[in-house]
Amino acid sequence: MALLEVNNLTKDYGCGRGVFDVSFGIEEGEVFGFLGPNGAGKTTTIRHIMGFSKPQKGSTSVDGMDGWEMADQIQRELGYLPGEIALPSNLTGTQFIKYMAELRGVTDMSKTRHLLDKFELDPSGRLKRMSLGMRRKLAIVTAFMHNPRILALDEPTSGLDPIMQETFIDLVLEEKRQGKTILLSSHIFSEVEATCDRIAIIKEGRIVSEIVADELRHRQDKVYRFEFLGDEDFERFAQEEHVQIIAAHREKRQLTVGIHDNDINEFFSTLSRYSLKYLKEEKFTLEEYFLDFYDREKTVAEGLAHVVN
Amino acid sequence: MSLIEIHGLTKDYGRGRGIFDIHLEVEEGESFGFVGTNGAGKTTTIRHLMGFLDPHEGSCKIRGLDCWHQAAEVKKHVGYVPGEIAFPDASSGFAFLDRQATMTGRTNRRYRDYILDKLQLDASANLKRMSKGMKQKTAIVAAFMHDPPILIMDEPSTGLDPLMRASFVDLLEEERSRGKTIFMSSHMFDELETTCDRVAMIKDGAIVDVASTAAIRHHEDKTYKIEFLAGEDYRRFLSEPFQVSERRDSTNQVFVNVHDDEIDLLVRRLTGYRIKFFTEIKYSLEQYFNNIYKREPADVQ
Repeated sequence: MALLEVNNLTKDYGCGRGVFDVSFGIEEGEVFGFLGPNGAGKTTTIRHIMGFSKPQKGSTSVDGMDGWEMADQIQRELGYLPGEIALPSNLTGTQFIKYMAELRGVTDMSKTRHLLDKFELDPSGRLKRMSLGMRRKLAIVTAFMHNPRILALDEPTSGLDPIMQETFIDLVLEEKRQGKTILLSSHIFSEVEATCDRIAIIKEGRIVSEIVADELRHRQDKVYRFEFLGDEDFERFAQEEHVQIIAAHREKRQLTVGIHDNDINEFFSTLSRYSLKYLKEEKFTLEEYFLDFYDREKTVAEGLAHVVN
Repeated sequence: MSLIEIHGLTKDYGRGRGIFDIHLEVEEGESFGFVGTNGAGKTTTIRHLMGFLDPHEGSCKIRGLDCWHQAAEVKKHVGYVPGEIAFPDASSGFAFLDRQATMTGRTNRRYRDYILDKLQLDASANLKRMSKGMKQKTAIVAAFMHDPPILIMDEPSTGLDPLMRASFVDLLEEERSRGKTIFMSSHMFDELETTCDRVAMIKDGAIVDVASTAAIRHHEDKTYKIEFLAGEDYRRFLSEPFQVSERRDSTNQVFVNVHDDEIDLLVRRLTGYRIKFFTEIKYSLEQYFNNIYKREPADVQ
């Protein structure tokens, strides 16, 4: 059994809104990415896992605890970062951290101090006067402060600047090395690519694709683009057999070709008979995969076939 | 004369906060990006351009008009998306857009409807009930709908999900090809890389660098990661005359830095090896930014 499980979860809000028959499992030590546009059901799923919402059908469980039955314990133990942060505005950040520490019975504040340092956050100001970025940082600190084994993070970096986004990636990788299990919903593809082992894409309340991140990172089908120094090289290359030309740009003497890793040595032998201006790789990114999925009506099998082949 | 001219712009809020001696020029038809950490001074600079703030020193001009003294005139040429959006009370998105159109005295309903359609925004919803993404789209429509020649935007894609972001980037590309001048701040490097001609980086209130995105996209120094099938090939390759920036003995992988002038040499040498894969490690605006940001001390005081 997976450490975090969602089994046939359904919550129908009417008018096609909600989540429908959502299932996935996250193994211990895994970082699991959750991608989808606003309104697709990411937050609804996470709120069920945290026990804030009761399933109409199906169930969720964390470390064997049912999301609804054991909500109190789950909310106390998990690290949770909500998508919309509503903080009690009459407190200072320091008071809020103290309050959260007491709630969770945290006495050792060294992790908290480490996190405040890492994110360069001075929590002494009043919450209502904090910028969006500062409130986000505070939410990150309180999600990780009690050193939870399992974390559910709902768009943790929205509103953070690029340097802080990188600091966050650093933190997730640090926690991952310590064996933490993390569910990460995000709009930032680079963040998901950098941290996640597996990625689920949710569309209109249903999981439409589940991919192993390494299949995207280490695709064996590569696409290279290169430019020739001379026209005659360009013309001559067009006669080559066994090279799959994807696009040709005659005026610029550019070619785009698809090469499987198994054929790379042969490809270099061929290329060595030409003079190139440059050689670059056209990467297939998570973003393209995602947008491609949303563009067309695709089934999960087609999506996977697209990645693997 | 440049279309946007910022000369020696300084606004000192004390304790090192503010902006200090900023110089930037944006040409007509150029798309100019502005990147930096929160609090670095992006919004302060943009608010000077919009004539909301009076410079302590220096000046901003748009089309030769002073942004502070001729603010009303300047605004006629500009569509503006603010960083923090505070909408007035309005019964619906349409009511708000109509009011904005009346205030500015310019309407182009056909174009407005085109933008609404492009961003897939249903503006009949109550403004207060709108999600963050819908509000952001409403603000974008309000800035674009009268088809102004200049667009000034403070983190316009904040709160947009990946699909909305893609349509927004599309829209920007269209505006660009129609000759609009764009000045925008953003936290999204890929967005800046695709839509901007140049990108300025601001740190602690000072400009630390202005980069051409074309130069980054067509960076002539490339890094390739190569894995060899056998340890013997891997070890032999290490004595080749290429700059190896990283080697991984356990996996027979090398990272080589190769200038475009040397690519033929690399290809020819590689024919003598058995390769498992060959991949490029991309140079991006993000890396460029991170390198500069960490290295450069802000040259203030």
